[in-house]
Formats: sequence, structure tokens, C-alpha cells
Amino acid sequence: MVTDRLKAIVPYAALLAGAAFLYHEAGRFAYAAKPGELGPDVWPKAILLLLIAVCAYEIGRRMLFVRRAPKCVAATETLAADAAEPVAAPPSAGDAARHPYRLLAGIALTVLYVLALDVLGFFLATALYLALFMVVGRYRRAGVIVATSVVGSLAFVFVFMKVVYVSLPLGTGPFQAVSLWILSLLGIH
Amino acid sequence: MFDVVHQLALGFHHLLSVDNAAALIVGLIVGMLVAVLPGLTLVMGVVLALPFTYGMGITPSIVLLTAMYLSGTYGGAFTSILFRIPGEPLDVPLLWDGYTMARNGRPAQALGWTLLAALWGGLITAVSAVALAVPFAKFALRFDAPEYFAIVLFGLTGAVALGSGSVTNALVSLCIGLLLATVGVDPTYGADRFSFGVPILTDGIEYLTVMVGAYGLGEVLARMGQGFVTAPVDGGGKIETSLPRWRETWRLRATVARSSVIGVLCGIVPGAGATVGSFIAYGVEVQHGKRRAQMGSGIPEGIIAPQIASTATVGGHMVPLLALGIPGSGATAVILGAFLLHGVQPGPQIFQNEAGMVYTIFASMFAAVIGMCLLGYFAIKPLVKVLHLPEAVTSAFVALFCFVGAYSARNSITDLWMIVIFGVVGYLFEKYRFPIAPMVLGCILGPVAETSFMTSMIAYQNDWTIFFTRPISGTVMVLIVLALAVPCVSRLRANHRARRATAVEAGGG
Repeated sequence: MVTDRLKAIVPYAALLAGAAFLYHEAGRFAYAAKPGELGPDVWPKAILLLLIAVCAYEIGRRMLFVRRAPKCVAATETLAADAAEPVAAPPSAGDAARHPYRLLAGIALTVLYVLALDVLGFFLATALYLALFMVVGRYRRAGVIVATSVVGSLAFVFVFMKVVYVSLPLGTGPFQAVSLWILSLLGIH
Repeated sequence: MFDVVHQLALGFHHLLSVDNAAALIVGLIVGMLVAVLPGLTLVMGVVLALPFTYGMGITPSIVLLTAMYLSGTYGGAFTSILFRIPGEPLDVPLLWDGYTMARNGRPAQALGWTLLAALWGGLITAVSAVALAVPFAKFALRFDAPEYFAIVLFGLTGAVALGSGSVTNALVSLCIGLLLATVGVDPTYGADRFSFGVPILTDGIEYLTVMVGAYGLGEVLARMGQGFVTAPVDGGGKIETSLPRWRETWRLRATVARSSVIGVLCGIVPGAGATVGSFIAYGVEVQHGKRRAQMGSGIPEGIIAPQIASTATVGGHMVPLLALGIPGSGATAVILGAFLLHGVQPGPQIFQNEAGMVYTIFASMFAAVIGMCLLGYFAIKPLVKVLHLPEAVTSAFVALFCFVGAYSARNSITDLWMIVIFGVVGYLFEKYRFPIAPMVLGCILGPVAETSFMTSMIAYQNDWTIFFTRPISGTVMVLIVLALAVPCVSRLRANHRARRATAVEAGGG
């Protein structure tokens, strides 16, 4: 029971601590003050005070008054409750992650993709990212994975470099040679 | 009046250009696809389309995004009615009567009522946008800094008060968005705020990366955490649309009128939007409809009320966006982003300086309504086939769209890091049930709010009571208080009802 309550206040406590730190930082902005005019710290400080107040209220409410998981009522929820049948919505993103390791793998893969873009170039990094993303997402048809990754990456290169004129990363060393070969294959100069 | 009709006719003429017509058709198709796919939300779709508008002119860009927005309010109805899969939250009320009607052996009739409702809601929304935008803009010409601050604040509090979920969490989300907007060099004093010596923060945080990361990548990560569990559907059945007869339709005129008014009003009030409109219209029918006792058993009122209201919100949202530069929803925030990316600031002056563009957008709304209904009638079978695409594959491409879209804005890898950061933030927001829309709106409207606040303070010698003593800003401030008080009161009433029900159960037991 107490653990549940503590878990419920963790995000608000973290936000409150962050807001308090930023409030302190806002007091240290360097600027040339103009007499009779408010400084650049007033607006952020006002927002931070509001954030601190809201977090403190929610922490207090959850610690003192809420016995179960909080049920927040908004216009849509009230009406949904009044309606004749229960709502059969698709799985909400707010539901607890059932595959936390898969989620972490997805985040790690995404970070690696951004790191790899400058080295491998857009085509190679993207083809690898798409393929691995599908594998991490539990899709197992190898033929579809390879085909969609390669064709999808080529399509992105063509559309963005030939149609939208965006200069995508080419990579370095031998990977750059591959990117340039792909570009010449697609008729992009 | 004559001038408006003349301008609208010119708008239709401009719409016939290849760029505008192509943008309209592509927007309609993509909007439908996005709404049909359960893994993609309407706002997410509009966000992902934004990068493709960089190379386009301003008018086709807005036509594309508006067409997506309109058809997106209709496309999700098909999966709700046929497969019990709401493509969007706004389609949830369609499950109660739409799906039930389909289950009762009348799916073609259910789709016919939906089409008729979307057509009516769309036409009403386009007419209301044309009729209301100019008076709104003329009224807004009287605004000074305090009025602008009050109006922006009203937009922000509307997003907090009327969104789904906890008001406290929405306030937290809004504060975070407003804070993100303050990062970087302050425009008045040149002071470096919250950059901590990190070069990418000194330039400020692009709201585009916040939107794309939180809405797009955040949702993809959340679905990956759930293991991409959307159930496969059996789309092999016969999908047809059967339009209702005139006599049947005429009988429902009261429902049509109620839902149209609710839709337009929910559009104009910032923060309300299609989902709230759809639920309220259904709720009003449950409480006041002629056949309220039969609601939920598969009657047409339960289909047309939410569908008309959700489609009718679009034009209402376009009014404050164009006339005041204030977006009332996630989708209109993205459309505002498209305006700003092309160097156009919506506001009262836009009707004088860019009248051709504005009326082409209005004309495109009329054309989009007709187009989406034709698409819904003739092309729904191939559109629904996208449900067979594996979610892991579509999600991989959605993530890629997020990255390429953000990269295209400034050709900067650092923006990709921002996408990753806000993707994780978006996931955490959804995990802990903090709504994303207030953060995005705060991020976009934060600079406007701060500038109008600071200008007011300079002009009126730091007298903060000026926001309450001027007639227009004072009235808006009262509306803000009401907007915040209403959900609190409804929450107290709901809790009171729950306590009474518990007490009755305990007494009975």
C-alpha cells in the first residue's frame, strides 16, 4: 500500500525537484537589467512556481487522500462511463509495458541508428535500422524484412534526395562509396 | 457577404491548379489511411506529413494538412463499425451503435449513416469556417497585448481543462511545454536561459522536434513496449455502403441540428476538439434524444451524432487558427507549424494580406468533404486492406518518417537527438498518463504568451490587473476561470455520484 503510494508520487517528486533546480538557475540568468522593467527570469519563474505548486498538490493528494489508483474524470471519461456499452478501445499506450526488454532494445536501437548515420550513411544505417526494428518488434518473415528494409530505404533516399532535395548523410570511408554508388544507381547527382 | 462569396469562388478557381488539387487528393487518401490504421493517430499523421511540405508552396501545404485532418475524422469510422477497432479515440462512440448495427446484420446501412453524417458535418464545418472567420478576424483587430495574452492563455487552459484525463497532469504537461519554449536566448534581453552551456540548447528547442518526437516516436516506443499486439482482422467480408432514404434522414433532423452545433462549438473552444465533441454529442443523445432508451442498440442516432460532431469540429478549429493564430488542437498546432515554417503568421491581418490563400483553404475544405465521401463510398475496400500490414513493419517506417522529417528541417543530426529525447519523453508521458497536446501547444504558444505578457507589463507599468480591468481581456479571463472550474465541478459531481452508489450498494448488501 505504502509502496504503491510512493510509486505514484515518483514522477511528481522528480518534476518538483527538477522545477526547484530550474527555479534556482533562473535566478542566475546574466542580463543587463532595465529600470522599471521585468527581467527575462520572470516568465520562466512564474511557470516553475505553477509547476511546483501543481506537483506539490498532486503529491499531497496522492499521499493523503487517494486510497487506490487515482481515477481522473474528464468530460470524455464521464460520458464514456454514462454510455450504454463498455469502450473497446485499442490497447492504450498508457498501459504498463508488457515487454520492457523489447522497449529498451527499441530505444537502444534508435540511439545506435542516430550514432550510425554519420558513419554508415543514410542508406545502410536505415536499411539496418528498419530490419532490426522489425526483428525486435517480433516480426519473423525474413524475406519481407529484407525486401521492405532495402526497398524502403531506397525509396526514402530517392524521395528525399531527388524530390524534396534534402541532403542525407553519406557516411565515411567505404560506406560513403556505397552511398555514392546507390545515388548513381538512382540517378541522383 | 458578396465579397466573401466572390473570394470563395476565386478560392475554388485557385484550387484547380495542379499543386493544390494534387495536395488535396493526396491529403484525403493519406488522412484516410492514417485514420484506418490503429497504430497511427490523426495528429501523428499530420505531423509526419509536415516535412513533405517544406518544398511546397504555403497554400498546397495547408490544403494537404487540412484535407488530412478532415478525412482523418471520417476514416476511423470504418474500422470501428466493421471490426470494432477505433482508429482514433474520437471513433470510440461509434462502437456503441455503429458496431452494434453492423453486428445486427446491417453493416452497409451503418456505413451509409456514417457517410451521410460525415458529409453533413463536413459541409457545416466548411460553411461555419467561412462565415465565422472574417467576423472573428475583424473583432481581433481591436486586440492589444493584454487581449492577446488573455486569448493565448484561454487557448492553453482550454487544452488543459477539456482534454481527456487528469487536469493536474495536463497542467504539468503545459508547464513543461511553456518551459521548453523558454530554453535558449531570450529575445528581449539576449539572456541565455536554461542552456547550461550546451550549444544545441542555446539555439532553443524546435517545437517540430518536440511534436514529432513526442507524438510519433513516443507512440511507436509505447506500442513496442506492448509487443505490437493489435489483433489481426478478417477483412475478407463484403464491404458496402448503403445510403439511407430521405424520409429516414428527415426524421433525425433534431439530432443532426444538435450535433452540428456541438461540433462547431467544440471546434471553436480551444482544447475541446473532435474527441470531446464526439463524446458530448453521443452523451446529449443519450440524455435528450427522442429514442434515448434505445441508444446503444444500433440505431442511426448513435452513429450520426458523434460522426457529425467530430467532423464539424474541424472548421471551428480553423477559425481561431486563421483569425487569431491560436491552434485549439494538436492537428491545428501542426498546421500552425506549417504556416510558420513558410514564414506566414496567421492572425487578423492574414485576411487582408493573404486573402487568396485563406479562401483557397476554405474552398479546399468544401472539396475535401465531397472527396472524402466519394473516397469512403468507392475506395473503402482497398483502404481497409492496410489493416493487414504487420504493425512492426508500419511502426518501423513511422519511426523512420519521424527521423527523416526532423532532419529535413535543418539538415542537423542534433535534431535527431532531440527526437530521441522527446520520443522517450513522449513514451513516459503516455506511461504516466500525462497528455502530450498541452506540452506541444505550450511549446508553440509559449513565445507568443511571453511576448504579449512582457509587452503588456512594459506598456502598463507592470500593472498585472490590466488583464482583468480591460473589457475583452477581462471577459476572457472569466472564461478561463470557468474553463478550469467546470472539469473540477464535474469531477466532484462524479465522485459524489460514485460515493452515493457505493453507499446504496452497502446499504442494500
